[in-house]
Amino acid sequence: MNWKNILSLMQVERKSSRLIRGQKITRYRENRFLAYWPYWVALVIGLASGVLAGIIYNFATTAEPELLIMFQNGTVRLFFSSLPTLVLVYSLVFTMMQQIRLSGVKTSSQVPYWLPVTWQEHTMASILASLLGFPLASVIFITSIIIVFSLFIGQVVAALLTSLAVLAAAFMASAATEILRILQVRFIGAVYKSSGRAAVWVRFAGSLIFFIVFYIGYFYVTSGGAVNVIQTIASAQTATWFIPFVWLGIALHSFTISGLLLQGFIFTGLSVIFIVGLFFSATLLNKRFGLYEPPAITVSRGVYAPKTGFLGKIGFSSVEAALIRKDLRAFTRRRELMTIFIVPIVVILVPLMQSIGQGEAMPAQAFMLFLGITFLFPASIMAMSLGSFMIGEEGQSVWRIYASPIFAKSLVKSKYFFIIFFSLIVLAITGILGWVIYQPTLRATIVACFEAVFLAMAVGTISLSIGISGADFTEAPRPRMIRPSSSFINLLACLLASIAILTPFFPYILSSIMSEVFPGLAGITLDPFLALGVSGIIAVVLTVFFYRIAIKNAEELLLKAEI
Amino acid sequence: MSEVFAVELKNVVKRYNEILAVDQVDLRIRKGEIFGLLGPNGSGKSTTLKMLIGLVQNDSGSVNVLGVEVKTDPVAVKQQVGYVPESPRLYEFLTGIEYLDFIGDVFGMQTEEKKTRITEYLKALQLEGREGDMITGYSDGMKQKITLISAFLHKPKLLILDEPLSALDPRSARIVKDFLHQLKTQGVTTIMSTHVLEIAQAVCDRIGIMYQGKILALGNMNELRDMAKLPDSGLEDIFLKLTGTDDIRAVVEELAK
Repeated sequence: MNWKNILSLMQVERKSSRLIRGQKITRYRENRFLAYWPYWVALVIGLASGVLAGIIYNFATTAEPELLIMFQNGTVRLFFSSLPTLVLVYSLVFTMMQQIRLSGVKTSSQVPYWLPVTWQEHTMASILASLLGFPLASVIFITSIIIVFSLFIGQVVAALLTSLAVLAAAFMASAATEILRILQVRFIGAVYKSSGRAAVWVRFAGSLIFFIVFYIGYFYVTSGGAVNVIQTIASAQTATWFIPFVWLGIALHSFTISGLLLQGFIFTGLSVIFIVGLFFSATLLNKRFGLYEPPAITVSRGVYAPKTGFLGKIGFSSVEAALIRKDLRAFTRRRELMTIFIVPIVVILVPLMQSIGQGEAMPAQAFMLFLGITFLFPASIMAMSLGSFMIGEEGQSVWRIYASPIFAKSLVKSKYFFIIFFSLIVLAITGILGWVIYQPTLRATIVACFEAVFLAMAVGTISLSIGISGADFTEAPRPRMIRPSSSFINLLACLLASIAILTPFFPYILSSIMSEVFPGLAGITLDPFLALGVSGIIAVVLTVFFYRIAIKNAEELLLKAEI
Repeated sequence: MSEVFAVELKNVVKRYNEILAVDQVDLRIRKGEIFGLLGPNGSGKSTTLKMLIGLVQNDSGSVNVLGVEVKTDPVAVKQQVGYVPESPRLYEFLTGIEYLDFIGDVFGMQTEEKKTRITEYLKALQLEGREGDMITGYSDGMKQKITLISAFLHKPKLLILDEPLSALDPRSARIVKDFLHQLKTQGVTTIMSTHVLEIAQAVCDRIGIMYQGKILALGNMNELRDMAKLPDSGLEDIFLKLTGTDDIRAVVEELAK
């Protein structure tokens, strides 16, 4: 293997982030220090945290000698031994996330196969490049903190072994991701081929299921907090010794805690064999399927028959209806846009998972909270996400909008309809789910539904107006859709608007709580419908105001018309 | 603006920060004319073409297209123009037919007319049978055909074509060239930019050569020959002489060392 080739290929991947950061293109000169800032920052924070932890340890053990005994009994080494598996889990999640992001941009993720680079070099570069960014920064942080801390507690050998194991675990995770990536491309290709005209919908459903399972798994792993995760991993890795991914952790445990050197060497050897096996499997798969292109998806084969269209009948012009239809296809066919549908689903599923099993024991406040989350959040989040992405999702194809006879009003109208349409669908689904699970009163259901509509209306226009002015049409290395600063402003503006719209309910909530605390005040509970009315007025005012701003921003966008 | 001219540029300037892309350009293109805009890379051709459809705003001067000042009413201009950009990015998630259907709707075409024309164009450019595939699965040539069809579809009065024949197979390229001549007889104006000088020589009535943001030479082939003082030469020699890039032999000899 030519490591110079590998490093060159990795540099290409690293430099791809320049486009994301939107640096100036002409007379570009790279600042080497700034280019590697995440790793420097991770290193500095890691070293500082290690020193801080060491100082605290010194103080604590001086004050409480029992702590010293506890540390010497192996608590730290137990923690160390769980780190490789912890890093493996996180690296798997983040390298897979990286691949998911890249999957939408075929051109940027394709290595130049026509160069004199062997498959081993290409595979190694791809595995290492997947670690760039957060996974590598976290490995640097972890290794630097434990090495420095180990100097204070006299566990340098354990810390060095752990650091090596952590690096190996990260590589293992990335190699596994590489294998999954290649298999996924091949598998999806086979599915497209066999599903024929239904391929679009198979892909849509498949992607939704994949993302939901992925995110629920992610939240399941992380929601218990880092300590729980470490405890679970530490206990699980000995019970699951037959899984090769935990062999590194077992080896480390054998060396540093149980003192079973032979077992340690065996598991170290097995780990090395497994890592080499993963690498060669990835290389073989790349060799076999690396150049594989999924077959073209055929959507229709019949005689072309343009539809008169339902949208035209309900008052949309042909331009507006065409834009809406086009966007509908974009959101059901572009993988990176499908993730927008995942957010509300995950938002509703996570509290649902937490609430199920609590049954009738759930306190009234928690019940209200879950009900509010189920009814209000998903539709609003959908409106916010869609609104901020609706223009930026055009990507480099936005020239088609610029070059077509489209007025700003039509553009905003079609995009806003799309936002509200999908938000209402989400509301309908989550509303039915919430009603079935929580069985609220009819009055509470009506109020929650109307309030969700008000929020979606206002948040939709705010996000759309900010999404237009902050649109980012960059597509490589991944679609951006909105500038980070605009995204932040949007989040803030939506939050403030939501508070303003929900404000009329605060006296109602307060009066409800007061009547519970002081039964004598029960009679003065405020009417929620009054709050709903005031809330509706605020929402309408905000909607109209930001809709006008959206039109103004769209006029500027079309006038500027530069990609 | 005169009834005679489809396009009229007066003293047009466009800067990209410190780079002067278009430098005080004056240009008039007659209705029904096929006009070729040539020039080395970075000479300002694409910027000039983009200004004609409002994709780039001129810093000063006036850009008048089909009697409309582009800055004042860009939508009215776009309604009458068919545009093929230098490197078109299509909606890759749509099928070919869906994309053309979208274009037809955006230009307000009637359903039957849209269907007839789309079917005709797909047949002429041999895309029949692949129109139901997603564009992401198309070759570059097929994507170019879809882009060309989308420019012709709504019967525009002015065609602005930036490298229109790139990636096309010989048959399709010939169809497009002949079709442009056919459209000329119907009064359609075509402005095209190309690096293939044989195409420009064969297709265009007049040619403008841009260099460093300025129109260096303008006229039909005979007028260009006179300007370059190369009476029996082809466009390639004229182009190289006028743009001062005729040091080919020296460069090749240097490279061969």
